[in-house]
Amino acid sequence: MPGDRGRLRPSLQLAALVVLTLLAPAGLRLAGAWRAQPADAASSYLPAVQGSRVRAPFDPTPIGDLARLNPGYVVIGDSMAGSRIDPLVLAQLTGRPIAPMMHAASGSAWWYLVLKNLVIPARIHPRAVLIFFRDTNLTNVTFRLDDGWMLDTAAAEREDELNAVILSAMEGPWYRVDRTIDAMYGADTARRWIEPALTAEVGRTIVPSRRRRGAFMTSMNARFGLDHLRAMDAADLQAAEDREADFGRFVNRSALPLMLRDARAAGLTLCFVRVQRRPVGGRPPYQSPALRRYIRDLRRYIEANGGIFRDDTGDLALTLDMYEDGDHLKGSEHRVYTEILYERLPSIFR
Amino acid sequence: MIFHSLDFVVFFLLVTALYWRLPQRGQNILLLAASYFFYGYVHPWFLILIATSTVIDYCAARGMEAWPAHRMRFLLMSIVSNFGMLGFFKYFNFFAENVGQVLAAAGLAISPPLLRIVLPVGISFYTFQAMSYTIDVYRGELRARRNLVDVAVFISFFPHLVAGPIQRASYLLPQVESVRRFSPEKARTGFLLICWGFLKKLVIADNVGIIANKVFALEDPSFPLLWAGVFAFAIQIYADFSAYTDIARGTSRWLGFELTENFDHPYMARSPSDFWRRWNISLSTWFRDYVYVPLGGSRAGEAVWARNILATFLLSGLWHGASWNYVLWGLYHGLLLIATRAHAMLRPASRRPAAWLPGASYLSPLVKVLQIAGMFVLINIGWLLFRETDLHAIVRDLRLSPGAASSLDRQAAAYLFLLTFLYSVPLWAQSIWVELTGRHDRLTIGWPRVVLQGAACGLAFAAILVLRSRTSLDFIYFQF
Repeated sequence: MPGDRGRLRPSLQLAALVVLTLLAPAGLRLAGAWRAQPADAASSYLPAVQGSRVRAPFDPTPIGDLARLNPGYVVIGDSMAGSRIDPLVLAQLTGRPIAPMMHAASGSAWWYLVLKNLVIPARIHPRAVLIFFRDTNLTNVTFRLDDGWMLDTAAAEREDELNAVILSAMEGPWYRVDRTIDAMYGADTARRWIEPALTAEVGRTIVPSRRRRGAFMTSMNARFGLDHLRAMDAADLQAAEDREADFGRFVNRSALPLMLRDARAAGLTLCFVRVQRRPVGGRPPYQSPALRRYIRDLRRYIEANGGIFRDDTGDLALTLDMYEDGDHLKGSEHRVYTEILYERLPSIFR
Repeated sequence: MIFHSLDFVVFFLLVTALYWRLPQRGQNILLLAASYFFYGYVHPWFLILIATSTVIDYCAARGMEAWPAHRMRFLLMSIVSNFGMLGFFKYFNFFAENVGQVLAAAGLAISPPLLRIVLPVGISFYTFQAMSYTIDVYRGELRARRNLVDVAVFISFFPHLVAGPIQRASYLLPQVESVRRFSPEKARTGFLLICWGFLKKLVIADNVGIIANKVFALEDPSFPLLWAGVFAFAIQIYADFSAYTDIARGTSRWLGFELTENFDHPYMARSPSDFWRRWNISLSTWFRDYVYVPLGGSRAGEAVWARNILATFLLSGLWHGASWNYVLWGLYHGLLLIATRAHAMLRPASRRPAAWLPGASYLSPLVKVLQIAGMFVLINIGWLLFRETDLHAIVRDLRLSPGAASSLDRQAAAYLFLLTFLYSVPLWAQSIWVELTGRHDRLTIGWPRVVLQGAACGLAFAAILVLRSRTSLDFIYFQF
């Protein structure tokens, strides 16, 4: 019937379009079959988030340094620690050497790797390892995970536990669907070479010499490093959204249990210091009810697992005039803060 | 809910499957429920605002018809309530901060209170859309609707709710009220738009957006790095916003609706006025019809025209955000339009051919290319004002000297520029193809074309699987 055929054709064309769209990416599997991996690329220690890539080697130097220094306290953290603690002042106050293990714009994944791969292997026995964080950082393992190059120097060849935690943290309700689609089309494999090939080609065009290209990429990464960022961006004012402030939901998808477990096994005491964010209008910053509950649960968990918890939030000695930008303190206030912390934590400092 | 999530894919499939099993009235009730679910997915309290706006505008329009002598009062009720909501949620802190600064400059240490609330996404879009309904009823161009559900669907229709395109009541309401039938042809073209939209968002906008974010986070950008970042932002904002529009239009077609186009290859524009005929068309025409024309348009001489243009563009800038840089961006574009017109007027009559108007057929290709390139540079200067929210940084950026950059910065800028360009090749290819052939509106049906379209969609899907950014960014226009 011509009428039926006329009605059928658009439907068939629609179906054909959808089928073709779904079939075409199967070519990725074929492409992946003959494409070898780049010679210098290796599987990432975090396959959950990275394909094969060239990584910076693990740097064991800090292990020896720590062993030689035999510090009384180790301080781990990002710029929140760096813009608060003055290691020399703390050393004077405590009479013991201090080992600052801080990296600007780092997150809990890096803090965990530093503890596991650098501090514990140094076989030192500090009185405490202080870890500085903001709000929900400790249970957000994917926070600042993009900067793979920073993690490289602290990561072993395999980091299966961290990878598993990251996987579980990324596992939303549709995660399995996402992974299945990727696996079905071989998208992961294709992604491992197509994406680096694209950026490598651009690099080759700009800097043809392979030797100079490596140096260029390193310098470019440094050019966009924290010391070149605006204060507010560096401070990375992370809104503590209520969705993230669900301790029960996120704790087992974070590196926090691993940190506490490894520290306990190594006989180390971890002291987690929650910094106070920038006060507003002369008062400590606002905390939503969800965030208050989160912090209460976090404290309980840390203390139940042998750790020490210190919350700077609400400490009236930490006034707005001490802050420089965002949540960072002024350089001139590092001494003051260090003295305040020393006073507030007599159990570990005296 | 956001388009680029599996939540949305499942939501949309379920809604569409159920939708076509219902009669027209049932479809509208489902659309309203789905739209409210979509909008309140993360912050259910947003629904109070949209529902309030809907009820007020519905009542205002009904009131205008019932009591014609008081039409103006009802219009004011609609305008004050919509602008009141918009002003409170979007501009209160901006206003309070500026008042605080003025008071501080006067030696008064008074800090006005600031709100600690999330700006409801899309509030600028749906309030403007709702006002178009009451204004059109006030003008007598549209009759007030009796059915509240129809008006509510018109205001909250989920495909375009949070980032447009802003639809006129006279265009969308009749579609809401009519009986809709599933059209495989519409669905096919809708599918194409959806694929293209996802490619633009996930592969182009999100990847180049990271480059723009990196550059604009620098404390000490050099000239080449800054402009590489601006170029990346120019690509990001077009890919991002037009992607949203395409997905909105595509999904609407699956539901039997047709939304207006919002972009017409804006980076192929050859003059400021040409750009505004191509960029965010729905907003531009809203301001034209409800601000510029009521102010007098170009009817009362050049000076009044210039005033009207400036007022319209300043408001348009402020619509984008509660920050002075958006005002500056609006002012910049207003001045560009005035300068273009002044330039055309000051040229001797003998040298004033239509050559400077887009579409003049005798323009040599080279002149066209130069006009497009020149306009693209001007647009990018505008994007610098748009992207950089710190006025001091804008002044610093505009003072940067091209010669003062280190060789590393020059190389890094070339790298970022080239990477951005590579990601944006599909955008440029499409725009240039359309510019050369003008074939973008031809929807020829035929199997070879379907096969080609299938291959293109398949390629887009493959690119999304492989090249989608690891960092998912929100649609830029959500913040407005």
